Amino acid sequence: MSTWNEHVTAALLGTQRRPAPVLADHPATGQTAQEPAEQAGRLLDQAALLTVQRRAGHRPSGAAMGGLDTAGLGTGEAGTGQSAAAGAPALIAPAPAEDVPAASDAAAGRLARILRGEQIRVLPEWLEAAAANGLRVPARLLPELLEKGRSDRMLRPAIVRAAGRRGVWLALQNTDWAYLVGAGDDPGGGPDVWQTGTRNQRVAHLIRLRGTDPAGAREALRETWAKEPAPDRAAFLATFEHGLSADDEEFLEEALEDRGKDVRQLASDLLARLPGSAYGRRMAVRARECVRPEVRTVRGRRQTWVVVEAPHEHDEDMARDGVPFHPTGSFAPGGRAGGPVGARAGWLREILARTPLTTWTELFGQPPMEIVCLPVADAVDRDARGARDVHIGWARAALRQRDAEWARALLKGGVVVDEPEALADLLAILPAAERDAAAAGLIRWVEGNPDLLRVLERIPGPWSGELADAVVATLAGAAERSSQRYEHTLTQLCRLADQRLVPEAGPRLEALAHRLATESGTGGGTSGRVVGSGTVATRALHELTETLRFRHEMLKELSA
Amino acid sequence: MSDPADSFDNVSDRWGREQVLGLAPDPAAAQAAGGVARPAKWSETGTDGEAVWGECQGSGKSVYRTCADLTEPAFRCSCPSRKFPCKHALGLLLLWSDGTVGAGPRPGWAAEWLHERRERAEKSAERKAAAGTEAKTKDPKTAERRERRVDDGLAELDQWLRDQVTHGLAQAEKAPYRMWDDVARRLVDAQASALAGQVRGLAAVPRQPGWPDRLLEEYALMRLLVRAHQRRDRLPQELRDTVRSRVGFTLAQDEVLAQGERVRDRWYVAGVHDSEQDRLTTRRVWLRGRESGRPALVLSFGVPGRPLDVSLVVGTEVEAELAFYPGAQPLRALVAERLGTTAAATPDGTSIREFLAEHAAALARDPWLARWPAVLGSVRLARSAPAALHVVDADGDSLPLRPTDPWRLLAVSGGAPFTLVGEWGPRGLRPLSAWHEDEGVVIL
Repeated sequence: MSTWNEHVTAALLGTQRRPAPVLADHPATGQTAQEPAEQAGRLLDQAALLTVQRRAGHRPSGAAMGGLDTAGLGTGEAGTGQSAAAGAPALIAPAPAEDVPAASDAAAGRLARILRGEQIRVLPEWLEAAAANGLRVPARLLPELLEKGRSDRMLRPAIVRAAGRRGVWLALQNTDWAYLVGAGDDPGGGPDVWQTGTRNQRVAHLIRLRGTDPAGAREALRETWAKEPAPDRAAFLATFEHGLSADDEEFLEEALEDRGKDVRQLASDLLARLPGSAYGRRMAVRARECVRPEVRTVRGRRQTWVVVEAPHEHDEDMARDGVPFHPTGSFAPGGRAGGPVGARAGWLREILARTPLTTWTELFGQPPMEIVCLPVADAVDRDARGARDVHIGWARAALRQRDAEWARALLKGGVVVDEPEALADLLAILPAAERDAAAAGLIRWVEGNPDLLRVLERIPGPWSGELADAVVATLAGAAERSSQRYEHTLTQLCRLADQRLVPEAGPRLEALAHRLATESGTGGGTSGRVVGSGTVATRALHELTETLRFRHEMLKELSA
Repeated sequence: MSDPADSFDNVSDRWGREQVLGLAPDPAAAQAAGGVARPAKWSETGTDGEAVWGECQGSGKSVYRTCADLTEPAFRCSCPSRKFPCKHALGLLLLWSDGTVGAGPRPGWAAEWLHERRERAEKSAERKAAAGTEAKTKDPKTAERRERRVDDGLAELDQWLRDQVTHGLAQAEKAPYRMWDDVARRLVDAQASALAGQVRGLAAVPRQPGWPDRLLEEYALMRLLVRAHQRRDRLPQELRDTVRSRVGFTLAQDEVLAQGERVRDRWYVAGVHDSEQDRLTTRRVWLRGRESGRPALVLSFGVPGRPLDVSLVVGTEVEAELAFYPGAQPLRALVAERLGTTAAATPDGTSIREFLAEHAAALARDPWLARWPAVLGSVRLARSAPAALHVVDADGDSLPLRPTDPWRLLAVSGGAPFTLVGEWGPRGLRPLSAWHEDEGVVIL
């Protein structure tokens, strides 16, 4: 036992139980038979001497230098392995060199502010913009960023792209951040993952296989198909959307008989996307019974009409092909006219949504643009909303079959205005160059309509070009009308626009906010309402312009 | 492109964002300040190098006039907030820090306030000076009374320390905090405030691993201080100063400025640590002289309503003359005079062996030293069995790190060599800042 430890033991027990140890060169030593209190004083004096000795004489311990650079990444045992002396610290293996530069100091400073909660919603945009510009998050901010990704799954893909190699290196040392490791392309494990993996791992495996060898993936699934539980069958079947081809038809047709309802639905949805399938032909037969061209003369004008007659009956075969007795949305209010859509209209929409669009170009002998513009009449009931059902059915079909020509026709034709969400979804099918203009057109169609917000919600950012102009114009329109309804629209609109509108629109909005502030300031005396709406509207606009400015500076820093 | 080239010259004069937010009385105020720091909310802003002012659109119709005197710094705002500085003052400084406040002449209200302030400051300085001379004239009797009180208090502490060791330290593990608080309170009554703070801090020791060693060390060093104070007449002057300051005899700043040793150097601001006790925040700023190689410690104290000193920014270097508090191992100092502007700089590191030798020499002069600043060059991080971190230098020597959140340090180092600034104490090295080639200075 060292001298110091003897002192600690004696002090713990107390000198009344154990005498103070003797210290060879201490002056007080040698006097024996002291009182416990004197002993205590002596013990403290000796301990003081030893303490200063110990502190001043601190010797650096050696480190295990062996295996300095050999330990690769992910050696969790870096702290325990190959130490020359037991307990000696082992060097932490260096992180691999980065191949992209870190973001500039200014950009990093802004990221630090975002991570602390300022404009936190722009975080994904910062990360995406950095990755797009070939930059990574500076190492010092990684711990906070990885911690954010721990609680927010949506953020993880963006973190993976911007965290650099240092991020992975760090995540390997903290199990809380394990999501960063292997989150990219590799689902983990080799070919045996299909036999042994979890459902998610097996799905990832199938998706990867569908990308390179769709037939192989199909055969792998066929082997275990009968033994898989229904939710797994549905999850695996969903991977068929990758690399879907006519070769899958047989498998999908069989799946239409599956015990699982979700599996059957999924199979029919996939078949509906498959051009030239037997399924498509069956649907086309049904569809032709409901929709037919007819040449009519109305007010002296001879023209082709689209005559609609919703199916009168539902049968087993329809159900087998994915048109349920109560299709989704058949109880939904029927747009502005009110009242539920009804089962028959629901069947019609479902059938049309699943019918190959080529059916119509063949039947009418016209391009989609002209078909969309044809007048529609109901065969039986003059007041029925057949036109809407047809257009909605076509819109859903265009979305499902990813048919840009039909999408363009439906958007330009200005039809289906009472279900504008269906149109908003079509924007995604258009070539990127057309999207802004088409979206702008759509917004002008629905402006002043409560659907506007729901439409905008479905248009992903960035809103630029004509679309940005249209949004600014809409904001201006809403801001200048001082009723409560517009006030609500305006605040909602601002909230939607702050992350999606391109920051270049900022100055125009600032001018608008400024004009609004001065106007409400001068007109305040006449009515309380104007002042009230003025402040709410200006505040919302201010918030929006601040966010846009923040994003503008952010993107400038990241592209510099 | 939009920035004029000459704006770079002003950057060093304007404070950084972090520096401004460092003034915030609490995190909520810092957050709110970010919201106020929007050009759209402000009008009539301006600065003339000494002060920044502006009018802020508050909620509703109210407009607040805000002004910050940069020399102190001091703030005034017409808003009703009781936080100090308020979010408007902080927001204004943030705008200024971003470079969005243009130069201009002071408006009447700002000039008036600044003038009032200066006058008040001068008057109080005069009063203080007058009081100082007064205090010195009636010194002897009060001083004598205080000496006696301290003697009695220390004798009582000595008795208590010996009692602890007589009955055994084992009972400390279950003792309530009150046990140390009572002793500390009696020391406050005896006007031995520094020692009182030391005792109060001990209450937490028995809750830490390895506490018996630590507690005995602390008790032993206190006993050493008591004994040294009892023998003060036989000690050399410098050591006597050390003992007196460790007991709690304080020196006024004026005295230090007037009598303290002056050292002129380029001082590198190595690290900062804030600690809080009873609503009082103590900020330790560690400096290192480039020429002299001397360490220095600048303390500042923040209470609600008075912000901490933010004038020394980690990772910068300032040419200045420091005035050291007297003692056998001078360490604490005041910035007596700044002789140049601050500029970003890189630290000079030493090896672990050199650092330990320096620390041993310092302990030989002042055995009560609880922490000593380390600037270690090209160290790497290492891990020992129970996930405890160490730094290892190029010679293979290592020092243990105090257990803290290691992630930022790990992230910055990436396992590669870097320069580490820390406080070395009995429980290990507390990392304060790191300097890495790719990352620059990072505060930990």
